[in-house]
Amino acid sequence: MRDAGSFSSAARRRQINRSLKRWPGWLALLFVVVALLVVGYVRDAGPRSTQQRVEDISQRLACPVCDGESVFESSNASSTAIRTEIRRQVTAGTATDDQIIVFIEDRFDGNLLLVPKATGIDALVWALPVAALVCAVVGLGVAFRRWKLASDTVPDDADREIVAAELLRAVEDE
Amino acid sequence: MSDVAAVPMASSRGRVAPFVALAAAAVLGGLFWLLAGSNNVSTETASSFLIGKPAPAVVTTELDGGTFDLSRRKGSWVVLNFFNSTCVPCKAEHADLVAFAEQQATFAGGAELYTVINDDSDSAVRAWFDERGGDWPIIKDDNGSIAVAFGVAKVPETWVIDPSGVVQARYAGPTTAEALGTLLQQLRLSQGE
Repeated sequence: MRDAGSFSSAARRRQINRSLKRWPGWLALLFVVVALLVVGYVRDAGPRSTQQRVEDISQRLACPVCDGESVFESSNASSTAIRTEIRRQVTAGTATDDQIIVFIEDRFDGNLLLVPKATGIDALVWALPVAALVCAVVGLGVAFRRWKLASDTVPDDADREIVAAELLRAVEDE
Repeated sequence: MSDVAAVPMASSRGRVAPFVALAAAAVLGGLFWLLAGSNNVSTETASSFLIGKPAPAVVTTELDGGTFDLSRRKGSWVVLNFFNSTCVPCKAEHADLVAFAEQQATFAGGAELYTVINDDSDSAVRAWFDERGGDWPIIKDDNGSIAVAFGVAKVPETWVIDPSGVVQARYAGPTTAEALGTLLQQLRLSQGE
């Protein structure tokens, strides 16, 4: 009796497991991910100090004369001058971070952006990986579903009876 | 057996090796010729966001102590040359700047040339001009704000500003007296002077 009970409990667990693997589980997961992304995007981290703004902006710009360094990291005279200009504009309080970046970028021939823009052709840099991820996930989903449908390993009632009988025999043998 | 097989292979390598060495030597020779013959002087103007726009505001001090205000130079053609005494191309360019300044001083309405110090000490700049000549005004850019306003990252750079205060041209790299003089002549003609 106890053995039959544990067998039915295992079957129930499998049933729950199977249910979770169906669409409602995935939809719940998707909802949580989207909610977290939205919260993360719109979350207001509070006012930043002048120093924080200068650092944030200078980390988004490349040093115009050195390779692989941001304006924030570089000690080059040109980067130092750009940091001074960023500080001056931040202190003046008349321009947003993006406006200051556009000001600097325009003057240095537009080759200073370390973080690509989210508009125009540059937006592809952000959109393509997401599109590729979505395509990959959908493709995998379709492939898994096809494999599942194509496989002959889906047990029917007769298979389950055989397995149950074998399990019972094994338990009796013990 | 393997020794027998190795002989033709070694012989084949021996025949190919001189050609490979010759090709490598030709490539190196070509590169050397290109480097030795290259002329980095900018006789072509460079693009800039500022071309055709009013020049940035520049108010600073001159090396000799006076005040320089670019907006007060309206009515004159102004040439700003960004420079640093440790910059090798600046040395090559300096004689041309001297010639250009002398040439512009020979007629009324000649362009005013100014040197903008880029990340350099006053004493080094004085020593430079004492040694190489040039008696045009030298203006200071202690915090680099003028360089940033014009988008100057490397020196030398030369900018031409017309009498209405609009940026007309930029040379990125050393330029020549002839290129500058010709450009100014063309700009003057295009503005009906």
